Amino acid sequence: MRLAIDHRLTLTAPTGPFQSVFHLLLTPPGGPTQSVERWDIDMAGFETAGRFVDGFGNVAHLVNQPRSEDEVTIHVRGTVSTRDTHGVIGRPAGEPVPALYRRLTTATKAPPALVAKFRGTKESRVDVLHSLMARVGDMLGLPDETPAQTQMQADGGQSQSQTTEQKTLPAAADYAHLFIGAARALDIPARFVTGYRLNETNEPAVLHAWAEAFDDRLGWIGFDPQRQMCPTDAYVRLTVGLDAETATVLRTVPAAEPAQQLTVSRAE
Amino acid sequence: MGETTPFDEMYNPDGTVREPYRALSEWLAEQPDRGLALMQTDAEAIFRKLGITFAVYGSEEGTEKVIPFDVIPRIIAANEWRKLSKGIEQRVKALNAFLYDVYHRQEILKAGRIPEKLILNNAAFCPQMMGLEPARGVYAHIIGVDIVRVGVDEFYVLEDNLRTPSGVSYMLEDREAMMLLAPDLFQRSKVAPVENYPENLRRTLQSVAPEGAGSNPVIAVLTPGIYNSAYFEHSFLADQMGAALCEGHDIFVDGGKVYMRTTTGPERVDVIYRRIDDDYLDPLTFKPDSMLGVPGVFDAYRAGNVTLVNAPGTGIADDKAVYTYVPEIIEFYLGEKALLNNVPTYNCTDADQRAWVLDNIGDLVVKEVHGSGGYGMMVGPTSTKAQHAEFKKKILARPDNYIVQPTLALSTCPTHISGDVAPRHVDLRPYVLVGDEVRITPGGLTRVALKKGSLVVNSSQGGGTKDTWVLED
Amino acid sequence: MTMLGRTAQNLFWMSRYVERAENMARLLEVGYRMSLTSRREGGASEHLVSMLQAAEMDEAFAAQHEVADVDTVAHFMMFDPANPSSVYSCLQAARTNARSVRTALTTDMWESMNGAWLEFSQIKPRDVRGAKLLGLLQWVRQRSHEFRGALLGTILRDDGFAFLQAGNFVERADNTARILDMKYYVLLPRSSLVGGEIDIQQWTLILRAASAHRAYGHVYHDRYKAHNIADFLILRPEMPRSLVYCARFVQQNLDLLAKLYGRREACQDAIDDLLSMVEDSSMDKIFAHGLHEFLDEFIARNNRVTDTLSASYNFY
Repeated sequence: MRLAIDHRLTLTAPTGPFQSVFHLLLTPPGGPTQSVERWDIDMAGFETAGRFVDGFGNVAHLVNQPRSEDEVTIHVRGTVSTRDTHGVIGRPAGEPVPALYRRLTTATKAPPALVAKFRGTKESRVDVLHSLMARVGDMLGLPDETPAQTQMQADGGQSQSQTTEQKTLPAAADYAHLFIGAARALDIPARFVTGYRLNETNEPAVLHAWAEAFDDRLGWIGFDPQRQMCPTDAYVRLTVGLDAETATVLRTVPAAEPAQQLTVSRAE
Repeated sequence: MGETTPFDEMYNPDGTVREPYRALSEWLAEQPDRGLALMQTDAEAIFRKLGITFAVYGSEEGTEKVIPFDVIPRIIAANEWRKLSKGIEQRVKALNAFLYDVYHRQEILKAGRIPEKLILNNAAFCPQMMGLEPARGVYAHIIGVDIVRVGVDEFYVLEDNLRTPSGVSYMLEDREAMMLLAPDLFQRSKVAPVENYPENLRRTLQSVAPEGAGSNPVIAVLTPGIYNSAYFEHSFLADQMGAALCEGHDIFVDGGKVYMRTTTGPERVDVIYRRIDDDYLDPLTFKPDSMLGVPGVFDAYRAGNVTLVNAPGTGIADDKAVYTYVPEIIEFYLGEKALLNNVPTYNCTDADQRAWVLDNIGDLVVKEVHGSGGYGMMVGPTSTKAQHAEFKKKILARPDNYIVQPTLALSTCPTHISGDVAPRHVDLRPYVLVGDEVRITPGGLTRVALKKGSLVVNSSQGGGTKDTWVLED
Repeated sequence: MTMLGRTAQNLFWMSRYVERAENMARLLEVGYRMSLTSRREGGASEHLVSMLQAAEMDEAFAAQHEVADVDTVAHFMMFDPANPSSVYSCLQAARTNARSVRTALTTDMWESMNGAWLEFSQIKPRDVRGAKLLGLLQWVRQRSHEFRGALLGTILRDDGFAFLQAGNFVERADNTARILDMKYYVLLPRSSLVGGEIDIQQWTLILRAASAHRAYGHVYHDRYKAHNIADFLILRPEMPRSLVYCARFVQQNLDLLAKLYGRREACQDAIDDLLSMVEDSSMDKIFAHGLHEFLDEFIARNNRVTDTLSASYNFY
């Protein structure tokens, strides 16, 4: 499938005597599940940005701008062709050793009850991970099939219900964190992924979050515990990290929270 | 080790003077009454005038004290030094190899030689450093190894100090003061110079500049500012190297490259000798609310446009819990036996060891895993019953937060105490530079516990310093 | 090696604060002397208040104290850390700036600065009364002279020197202009040719505050006259605290910067602007336009020198 992505981030930085600095993780990697056909980031100062690879293998850009009172816009557009591999990513080059993703962080802690039943199991690791995904879904509840009013935020922030009657569900990041924490508690390397997801309903698109866990035979495999499925060709991977914090797509100094507008559609 | 008489650096057990101290002994005998006391007064005036002060944490803000200087030097024989420096070189090479490994393939963890969790779940481990290729493969460029002596031939390493060890300015100023105070004593001895340290530091820093920095890389010393306890040292070293002394706001990143703001506009910086802790170095990557650091400087480092000295994340190699594995680390990477001893360390997370520790706490030293500067530690033999009880409670509450070691009988060195000369406990911190080569300055900082019987030498806890002489053959 | 913008800023301000401490000490000395010789009831207090006005501290003082006597005024001007222009605050600020740029100072300069602060900060205010006050005030002036001496005798004539000197004389010009401005009304030409007792007292205050009372006699060989006093402190090039002297000195040092850095900046225009004000003037013209207006304009242009200097050389 070919997916067209249009992602706009806007923010207003506090003014001050020094420059604003932006750390962007907004460039998707290529890999067995996706090839990036075209990708443009439109932003003042982007032409002279520093470009490098971060500790998790993400392509990062460092952009400077003189500080102004005006709104700053980052406009990301691109086309990615995707393949359904049943979630299997394998072992892409240039990534840190999988063992790194056994590190526990404050965001990735799982209650002992969640993992107890998997300790000492004879099941294969892949089976364990699938069961774990189901249990995380049980624990946090699942979104309705019908268009949800729930804002899913990849940054781990509180989900917001647009109508008060609607039950507030955790954000996608919360599912991912719980899954990752449980996997790590079982000594399975697991990491946090942010990315885009095509949804066929009319709900507004938001940056999505899911998890990947490592299997010695297959390499990295994606799990989306919020959607209870392994990522398909409707998914585009953008960043990976230990948790939402390390995989955040935009960090700025001075700190400012961007408003995001996103559309993900089938490309012509 | 607890009960034995400590090793006396100056006198043999039979009361005769040890060879390296012969000239000093004669000189001391010649000093007139009150000679040392006058010298001591002169020394204090020298230090205060030069502004060599340190701030004491926890006391009133801006309080500055002159660190006490003792006018009797500590002396190390040439053959003793050769042994020591070999052992130190071995350690710093192995520890740098270890750092490269844990931030790349992690072979030592795969081999099971160190528990994986001890590294990966350690607060001092810095995941953002993964895969980064530092210039010449060096992470810890500037190291101050804390060593204590307990016998003629028995040295123990207490700590490796791979983050931003301080005190080197005292080594240099102590020598400067000693030469002013007792030039005649120098004439009678062959003392190895320490004055080359700033030049060696400059060479070391330039040798790890990123590729494309040109033939004369620009160095900046990054300080948290004048209220930092080691500010004097930062300005002193910058001055001695002819480098710019910068605060966070003096440096900025543009297009992934690093510049300082000068009177004539931006000037490129190639190497940053940073005296700011990892957490505060770059608000974009580490603590977001830090005002001390430079936004984007870590990214510029990853992009290969600047070298940070020491690298972030070196703390994983001098973590108190990792310390116990250093002999293992030396064997794994160098295939050699460690030349310097590690102090035996008890692990309180192990129930048997913990029980033994709690029963014997009065003879032991308890240290907080992430403590430094003598804060959060307890020396059993010199502490009260109440303090013993307090630390027992602390250990039980968080066994992983403490390491416990036997009380070492630190060697003693004659020290001037209000007109008299009396033995006091000392340690030794030699300074090591790692860049294109390993450079160890012959000497170092001798810290002395001025209180009778005290084993705590930290300046924040009432310790002083001595000039440290390494004799040449 | 090129200099950090912050270093230039610290040098400039360190120098300003040393000069300011000296000026504060001098003003307090004047007020104190006059209060001693006052024969009228309440006269002592009037002199002190008048001196506080000259230092533009009268309002801040009144906010804290009801009565202006020697002890309260001396404490306020010497030791009060809440008064940003007290000698204490000035020396502390100077020393803080000096620590920040320790590497740009010579050892002699640093020792002088550091020594002054260490000694001063150990003085207990309650020990400084009566005769001791005068001694301490002289000591402050002497330490300022010592610092300037160390500077002139040891520092390289490079950009650092220029920033230090510019700071020193921008501050001094500001101080002289403000003293004149606060007392301008006693200097205005008026019908009676001979000043009354009050006038003479005020004139003495002005001259002493500028260390100019003895030099006045050498230059004018005449009794105190308003016109001469204004002329002396504004237009006399041989008077080292006059506006013209200070402005010329600042200009020389900014020219040195332009030469060293190979280009002129906005601050060189600003100082030319300031200097032309005094060089193209005469006392008659100044009085015709209004002394107060002239001084106001001078102070504003002098401030512009600091602003443009900060921008030109990346202070922040």
